[in-house]
Amino acid sequence: MCMRCFELSRRSMLIGGGVLASSLATGVAQARIRPAEMVPLIGPAFRPTDTDEKGLWSQMDRVEEEVAGSNLLIKDPALVSYLQDIIGRVGGPAARDMRIYLAHVPDFNAMMFPSGFAVVFSGLLLRMRNEAQLAGVVAHESGHFLRRHMIRSWRDMKRKSDIFAIGAMAAGLGGAGAGVYLGDYVQLAQLGTIMSLFQYSRAMEAEADAMGAKLIAEAGYPPIEMANVWQQLIGEDANSARYRRKQRRRGSLFDTHPSPDSRMADLRISAAEVTVPGRAYDSGRARYLSKIAPIRQMLLDDQVKLNDPGASAYLLETLAADGWNGLLRYYEGEVWRLRNRVGDDARAAQSYAVAVAYPDAPPEAWRSHGLALLREGRGGEAKSALARYLQMKPAAPDAPFIRQMIG
Amino acid sequence: MRKLGIALALASSVGASGCVQTRQFADVQFTPPQGDYRLLVMRPDVVVNSLTTGGMPQPRADWSEQARGNIINALRSQQAERGGKMLILARRNELPGISPEQVADLERLHDAVGNSIALHKYTGAALPTKRGKGLEYTLGEDAVALGRKSGYDYALFVHAEDNIASTGRIALQVVGMAGCIIGFCAPSGGSNQFAYASLVDLRTGEVVWFNVLQTGSQLPGVKFGDIRTPAGADQMVERLVGRMKPGKEVHKAAEVR
Repeated sequence: MCMRCFELSRRSMLIGGGVLASSLATGVAQARIRPAEMVPLIGPAFRPTDTDEKGLWSQMDRVEEEVAGSNLLIKDPALVSYLQDIIGRVGGPAARDMRIYLAHVPDFNAMMFPSGFAVVFSGLLLRMRNEAQLAGVVAHESGHFLRRHMIRSWRDMKRKSDIFAIGAMAAGLGGAGAGVYLGDYVQLAQLGTIMSLFQYSRAMEAEADAMGAKLIAEAGYPPIEMANVWQQLIGEDANSARYRRKQRRRGSLFDTHPSPDSRMADLRISAAEVTVPGRAYDSGRARYLSKIAPIRQMLLDDQVKLNDPGASAYLLETLAADGWNGLLRYYEGEVWRLRNRVGDDARAAQSYAVAVAYPDAPPEAWRSHGLALLREGRGGEAKSALARYLQMKPAAPDAPFIRQMIG
Repeated sequence: MRKLGIALALASSVGASGCVQTRQFADVQFTPPQGDYRLLVMRPDVVVNSLTTGGMPQPRADWSEQARGNIINALRSQQAERGGKMLILARRNELPGISPEQVADLERLHDAVGNSIALHKYTGAALPTKRGKGLEYTLGEDAVALGRKSGYDYALFVHAEDNIASTGRIALQVVGMAGCIIGFCAPSGGSNQFAYASLVDLRTGEVVWFNVLQTGSQLPGVKFGDIRTPAGADQMVERLVGRMKPGKEVHKAAEVR
């Protein structure tokens, strides 16, 4: 029940089911689900009453304890309460019941657990351009909880595996009695069962998207922002793949999630459906930027160190569509510097030079600018840039070294 | 994850026949604790699943709760016989002077070390440098610090799992076996258990003893002690920690004498 965790589950199921995979790996269409049909299936303070759901929840206490105590969590109280506020606004009837944790993982992902706690990766906060986009992701995750997707998926899997087990046994016995071998049909049925599980999973994701669009529109966020998230992600994936001279992954029958392309297309139509003409929607961009300001440099730092220059460069350009600043320019330089192809040093130097022209340039921009000047043989200017770095960050770990350089 | 690693390794070895299997490893210098010792049992992790017709384990909250109580009682009476003093942690914040984070850290560290033991001692990926050395793993200074502060000599980590075949699963097993009459044998796994225990010496930080218990049968109706009942839990605890063997060198020395 996460945003895009297809890789792992797809592979493991391929190994399990593993036949005809490549020949069937074509585009997958998933009928769009209308937001209007999405009503929450649970009320406030929901507690499970069915045996299987109680069992599922009982497993989650320790999981949540583990997540809550993980040293991967970003525990900045202001940020955590901001996320909790957002789930409070787009959580529908369960707004007060859900918990949200922010994990320091530089990837685009978020997930909801069966008992109503969500984990958001820090890489997601970097990619969101406004509060509406973040609210869209949170609303999608809330949608999983409100529509009881975990227990429904579990029951679907139980039902289908039961039917398969009985069917396979019947085919074996029937075949043995009649003297024919039905093993091939059993294998085909196994493949069919596995694929139908994936299809069910994709349907749940489509539901969560539709539910999410409805929830954020009701909360006053422009619902189109959910589609924009996918547009950005598609661009990022494409750019990352192009840099590595690969093709961007398209959807297959073994995906747990609909492809980003179809999600974007569906969300566009859904957004139009739930938008009320004449109503004012606020994307909350300024509020979002001020809330994540304390960790934005860390988020950018994590991203450029992923060694994925295609994605990082695209991401910076996307964020800069709302205006360049010193921080973004500095990290643009870092992308080039770390990529280190012919001419990248000059590109990086240029970015650093531009970065320091902005009032919000981080201290590191001055250091990198100074070092670049030094390489160009402009010692005097380099010294003053490095001095500026030391002045801004006197306790930097490399301060003694820099001090010695400028003597 | 740790339980998964071991479970996978042993599933193949047990499966076909019906059996109870335990396999323990000990530090070469290990002597089973006797007499006046203090044992800390780290939150026993007990789960009872109902095995669906299709073979999926479905956790049951009520059964698990019942089994946890039984396992704890069984541990208590079993340890009372040995003469040690014991505290069974139910939550991480029950040790005076020790923060829940410290307990959590030790639990996680043990998870990682336990995984390593599972990989290198049970799945066949033996390390040449550890050959013939018994169990040579440690939780290091953290465990020693916890022991010093709390005054306990040993920590015991326990995981117990019982998968109970549903009526549908048993029916499938019966049909699969009955099929043998017409030449179509399709045995499938029924009720089974999986448990492990790991003993850490808090004075040295070393994992001194490790045991894995696995039971299971493809014959319908065969049971190995249902841990939802006190008798079944007693049986599992006895199989798991009741017969601790001393380490190789200690064992040899005893023979010489």
